Amino acid sequence: MEGGVATNQRFPKIKIREIKDDYLKFELRETDASMANALRRVMIAEVPTIAIDLVEIEVNSSVLNDEFISHRLGLIPLTSDRAMGMRFSRDCDACDGDGQCEHCSVEFHLDVRCDQDQTLDVTSADLMSTDPSVLPVDVAAKSNSSAYDASENRGIIIVKLRRGQELRLRAIARKGIGKDHAKWSPAATVTFMYEPEIRINEEMMESLSIDEKRSWIESSPTKVFDIDPNTQQVVVTDPEAYTYDEEVIKKAEAMGKPGLVEIEAKEDSFIFTVESTGAIKASKLVVNAIEVLKQKLDAVRLSDDTVEADDQFGELGVHMRGG
Amino acid sequence: MNAPDRYERFVVPEGTKKVSYERDTKIINAASFTIEREDHTVGNILRMQLHRDPNVLFAGYKLPHPLQYKIIVRIHTASQSSPMQAYNQAINDLDKELDHLKTVFEEEVLKHSRDY
Ligand SMILES: [Zn+2]
Repeated sequence: MEGGVATNQRFPKIKIREIKDDYLKFELRETDASMANALRRVMIAEVPTIAIDLVEIEVNSSVLNDEFISHRLGLIPLTSDRAMGMRFSRDCDACDGDGQCEHCSVEFHLDVRCDQDQTLDVTSADLMSTDPSVLPVDVAAKSNSSAYDASENRGIIIVKLRRGQELRLRAIARKGIGKDHAKWSPAATVTFMYEPEIRINEEMMESLSIDEKRSWIESSPTKVFDIDPNTQQVVVTDPEAYTYDEEVIKKAEAMGKPGLVEIEAKEDSFIFTVESTGAIKASKLVVNAIEVLKQKLDAVRLSDDTVEADDQFGELGVHMRGG
Repeated sequence: MNAPDRYERFVVPEGTKKVSYERDTKIINAASFTIEREDHTVGNILRMQLHRDPNVLFAGYKLPHPLQYKIIVRIHTASQSSPMQAYNQAINDLDKELDHLKTVFEEEVLKHSRDY
């Protein structure tokens, strides 16, 4: 607290509801929508991953042209636990981003030729990495079989070859962010919703007949309310199923019962759903987003020379104002 | 064909300052901060954090144009503070909030890590 300045810092709370390697659902409370949205935006567009960015094709006699294949290679998600510690090629002074440099790039090789009558699938499993920590996500999942059923996994198909066709290439994967190209986005989906607060006017509700209650409940396109089989009362069974469609409010008005239910979006409570492409774990995606946002804020701090220049201006200003 | 390079959106050109500060010539304690290569992500959290500061009379940001990769944050404070002080404090508070967020999030992950 410099100069006795009171801080206006918040202390948000987190509660995880469900966690898997590539899926995460959690509650974020006691902060505002700007923070929730900043985190969402950073997860989608600014958390770095590694993706193929440069392809040198030696032989391609497949039916797909070179740039089509290059594009498909770029979109294959690669395990990117290293990405936060890597350099961007453009900032790397150790190399010219040609793939020889371990600080900023990873080299891949692919060499497949079809010598059989049956169509041959060229898949992500044919990509040979020079760094064992950077692999196509499905190949990595296969090797630590805990993630999902490996027998189902036949790799991500890049192209199909018939007899005599061949594909041989060298690819350089680089660190990047989703803002540059969506292939670098670690997020499949990141969403948050405001937690709704649903208040039923019990007194008014009891003035409804059971059939009226039923038709009111039915008016909601999602299953938010139900009737308690014992008490015959309308109860909120799943507040988060509410999509802010206001159908139940309109229905209540149409029934001549305005104010039957009040629904408000809490301004400081958010429910996040994070799905990862597999490049990094969903939980790591959140942690990295926090870290990236911190770095961004750090970068927008005023530089010393700006502050100095203003101090001088300030004195001048005081003279001019006759202080 | 004449589209700007994608990196233009987030790489500050050489010789350009990330943040520049300009005092308002007519109003005391009012100033604009021009932040290069930033967007709503930083603009909006800064604005909302500044609104929490009781000394801030006005805080707003704008993204002048989608192809001008900068935001302008304008701050007007009461006399006991200054735009620069408010700006710095907003960044410090957000930074500490994120530190806290990281700690509580990692604790929660640890709590659940035995489940999967
Ligand atoms: Zn390098």
